[in-house]
Amino acid sequence: MSAGFAGPGEHGGLTVSVDRTRCAGTGLCAASAPDDLALSDGRARPLRERTDALDEVVEAAELCPMEAITVRRVATGEQLAP
Amino acid sequence: MSLDPSDAAPTEALIPLHCRQAARPGPPELTTLLTGTPVYLVRRHADVRQVLTDPRLGRAPLYAADAPPLTPYPNLLDDPDGLLNLDGQEHQRLRRTVQRAFTPRAIARWRPWVASVVEDLVSRLSDAARPADLITAFARPLPVAVISRLMGLDTLDLKRLAYWSDHALSTSAHTPEQVREAIVDFLAFGTALVAKRRAEPGDDLVSSLVLAADEDGEVTEQQIVRLVIGLVVAGHETTMTSLGNALVYLLTDGRDAWERLAGSEEEAAAAAEQLLRSVPLGENEVLPGLLRRAKEDVEIGGVLVPAGSVVAADHFAANHDPEVYPADWQGGLFDPVGTPHLTFGAGPHHCLGAWLARMELELALHRLARRLPGLRLTVPVAEIEWRRGLLTRSPQTLPATW
Ligand code: HEM
Ligand code: HEM
Ligand code: SF4
Repeated sequence: MSAGFAGPGEHGGLTVSVDRTRCAGTGLCAASAPDDLALSDGRARPLRERTDALDEVVEAAELCPMEAITVRRVATGEQLAP
Repeated sequence: MSLDPSDAAPTEALIPLHCRQAARPGPPELTTLLTGTPVYLVRRHADVRQVLTDPRLGRAPLYAADAPPLTPYPNLLDDPDGLLNLDGQEHQRLRRTVQRAFTPRAIARWRPWVASVVEDLVSRLSDAARPADLITAFARPLPVAVISRLMGLDTLDLKRLAYWSDHALSTSAHTPEQVREAIVDFLAFGTALVAKRRAEPGDDLVSSLVLAADEDGEVTEQQIVRLVIGLVVAGHETTMTSLGNALVYLLTDGRDAWERLAGSEEEAAAAAEQLLRSVPLGENEVLPGLLRRAKEDVEIGGVLVPAGSVVAADHFAANHDPEVYPADWQGGLFDPVGTPHLTFGAGPHHCLGAWLARMELELALHRLARRLPGLRLTVPVAEIEWRRGLLTRSPQTLPATW
């Protein structure tokens, strides 16, 4: 399925979610994907509802020591990482 | 062999660590380290978590030129180039070069191998003459065998490793000269190892570290070397300590759980997590908690901590905070922990080896209980000999039969 011009970008839009209970507040994700993840009160949170920064958010989700981050493709619901 | 008999406290003073009562958490309190340095002692779960995650507090300022003395003895852990003592971007850079090898998924791939190491040790133990020492035969060799394998150190002399480890984390057991000598020797080993893997890379952890660091280009040689030897110590000391102390509990007051531990790996994993939360690694005599230093004024738990202050996060007290956890951990040994405990810390320095340590502990307890259902100690608790390190205390020997 092609994202074409329907989505907000070439990946058709991704969502990033953080399980704030699991999050250990390492900040590694914010370093990998500064436009999409930031720490507040010692826990990470997504900065925007949708993103196209595929490489960055996948990297963040794969490096997270607690596997607290999930990246999904909006169009299909497919989990891309971790 | 880390305890010098001349300054040994009488053994009757040493209760098993699972019997230690955590201080009741309250607001941060001003007290002093053994060196006389003032320290804010923080004990509530939320406060400890704040201290460990708040960027206004750091590790690097503990070793700045104006920093007050922290421990009366030199040790490897005071090295300002160590991963634990870097902050901010420099820390992130070094941490990222190793993090990939330590995510839950990466660790899960090693499970069959860790299980086979555990099974070999249990087999050898069950063939041994009884009584046998569970520390020499099991708790001590396990973490060493695992980390050696990951790092491709198949030829490492285990006596040499024990010597470094003992000295690196020692308290009063060794003279400062002895400690320095051991550290110099340890660093030489690390330097040679890094050089060798750079020349002939393999698929081990050291090779991938060197590769990742060289790719990054800004990680210094010294940092790689310290990281490598830090990992050697890490695979040795803390895991051995938590396994040894878990066994003391499970073969005495907690003996009723033994059969259930044998039942499934999932049950053993649940118990391992509760034991990690509940049984402290040591005494907090030298250091009352995980240390940080305030870079600016910061409010913690309603108390204003001025810039430059040393703060100790007592994660043992936090792990028993009645606001967060039930009072009776022994009755809930197989229950999920709920709110994540702080035994592995939190924030940027959250333990790199946490998932490896968990796996080792859970497999060790499960396989031992399964193969030796009748395992029992042959000495009374009061006669257990203890080994005391900088931050840890664990049984020196644990004679048992089955
Ligand atoms: C039960 C066993 C273990 C316990 C209780 C434990 C606990 C801890 C704690 C509390 C810290 C943070 C210290 C601080 O914030 O001041 C830490 C850091 C660290 N641990 Fe562990 N650890 C264990 C096993 C391991 C293992 C097996 C490894 C490696 C293979 C390891 C590697 C590390 C490293 C490299 C750091 C420094 C991380 C950084 O500064 O970014 N640990 N550990
Ligand atoms: C090579 C880099 C490392 C340095 C520089 C370092 C330094 C320190 C220091 C100074 C402390 C005292 C408490 C504090 O100030 O936070 C400490 C605590 C601790 N370290 Fe390390 N460490 C290093 C690596 C490790 C590794 C590899 C482990 C392995 C698990 C580890 C485990 C721990 C634990 C468990 C504590 C707290 C123990 C307790 O609360 O009883 N550290 N570390
Ligand atoms: S990397 Fe994971 S644990 Fe660390 S702050 Fe981000 S979500 Fe939390």
